[in-house]
Amino acid sequence: MTDTESLEGWVPAIGRGVTLEEVIERAFDYRGNVTVIKADGTRLEGYVSNRNRDVGVPFIQVFDRAGDGPFDIPYADIRTILFTGKDTAAGNSYAAWLRAKEASHQRPRTPPAPGA
Amino acid sequence: MSVPVSQMWAVASYVMRQRLAGRTRYPLVLMLEPLFRCNLACAGCGKIQYPAQILRKHLTVEQCLGAVDECGAPIVSIPGGEPLMYPEIGRLVRELVARKKYVYLCTNALLLKDKLATGAFEPSKYLSFSIHMDGLRAEHDEAVCRDGVYDEAVEAIREALRRGFRVTTNTTLFDGANPLRTREFFDAMMDLGVEGMMISPGYSYAKAPDQEHFLRRQRANELFSRILTHPQRRWKFNQSPLFLQFLMGKRDFECTPWGNPTYNIFGWQRPCYLLQEGYAATFKELLETTRWERYGRKSGNDKCRDCMVHCGYEPTAVNHTFASWRGFVDTVAATVTGRL
Repeated sequence: MTDTESLEGWVPAIGRGVTLEEVIERAFDYRGNVTVIKADGTRLEGYVSNRNRDVGVPFIQVFDRAGDGPFDIPYADIRTILFTGKDTAAGNSYAAWLRAKEASHQRPRTPPAPGA
Repeated sequence: MSVPVSQMWAVASYVMRQRLAGRTRYPLVLMLEPLFRCNLACAGCGKIQYPAQILRKHLTVEQCLGAVDECGAPIVSIPGGEPLMYPEIGRLVRELVARKKYVYLCTNALLLKDKLATGAFEPSKYLSFSIHMDGLRAEHDEAVCRDGVYDEAVEAIREALRRGFRVTTNTTLFDGANPLRTREFFDAMMDLGVEGMMISPGYSYAKAPDQEHFLRRQRANELFSRILTHPQRRWKFNQSPLFLQFLMGKRDFECTPWGNPTYNIFGWQRPCYLLQEGYAATFKELLETTRWERYGRKSGNDKCRDCMVHCGYEPTAVNHTFASWRGFVDTVAATVTGRL
């Protein structure tokens, strides 16, 4: 995954090229906190740990910012989901680590102190 | 092969009971993840990328034991995260041993010496430390993205063996692995005195940082053939010889995703240890409501196409052993002769 593929900061406009179901799928796949905006206008910020669309009343499960939960929220009660938290899976830490390792190998060694 | 006779018997009798009962889907190894927190950030790992409030959470011992009882598998593997960071790891292991579950505590070993010194664990035939070792010093330190980890793990292995514990190693091999170096690594682990080794190709986690180095199926067959052809007699593997033959391309198996079910703070993971396509509240719900036909090579699922990982295929190999006399004879022959 590269930084450019991250959904971090995404504010989806439901109905304009994207459905609520698609946004929920993306939120379930997202490894950061999101903000769920419910139909009644209330908000819940947290991590979407699960979703089940194969049941009579499809729902998502959310752990809030304090780690409490999971709280069940029916699809029907969701207006939209904002990708507000940091995407913890974004970036390329392996490449970064290789670069750092390479740099450390190229760095000139500090000469020993006199008398050491 | 190095699995103790008592453990082999426990697994064999369990599988026979399931077959006699007519069960087609049953678990062999419970993958119990009490937490996602880890003290390393390995390039190939997709298990630890979560927000802080999730990384702070962990299962209670009671939740863990409830999952163990509900699942009923004879073997419990405790990966993570790093399970030695779980505050109640000593109590959890004691409870599992009391239930006569064979426990593989999968650890990077950075905390192992300290835990042993505090008396958190007692040696038992039911407990094996499964130390993450992805190769010799250079390869392992690169895989875990930190220098010095190999040496610390080797020290911890020596200390655990000195104290009388069962110690095995688990090794994930990625594209570019050097067969000769891997064979040297096997020699080194045998020299250390570990009971046996477990090997598997890596899986391309969508969330893992390193997406370039996972093995495709044909390349995996070639690599494992070069590593395992003419194995040294002294090498001992803590896994089914039929699975090793599968890795070498000598057998064609289909995945058994329910064989190693995974339980963590989110529930029972669908469909397997590697894919996260949702969670069930109970093991029964996992078995009965997961659309199993969507997974495995035959399903055509892209995510399963190149997977050869032990958690899906080792249960298949074990089932194959007990499904026919041919499978049983092949397993015994490979076990006795050491030939793959």
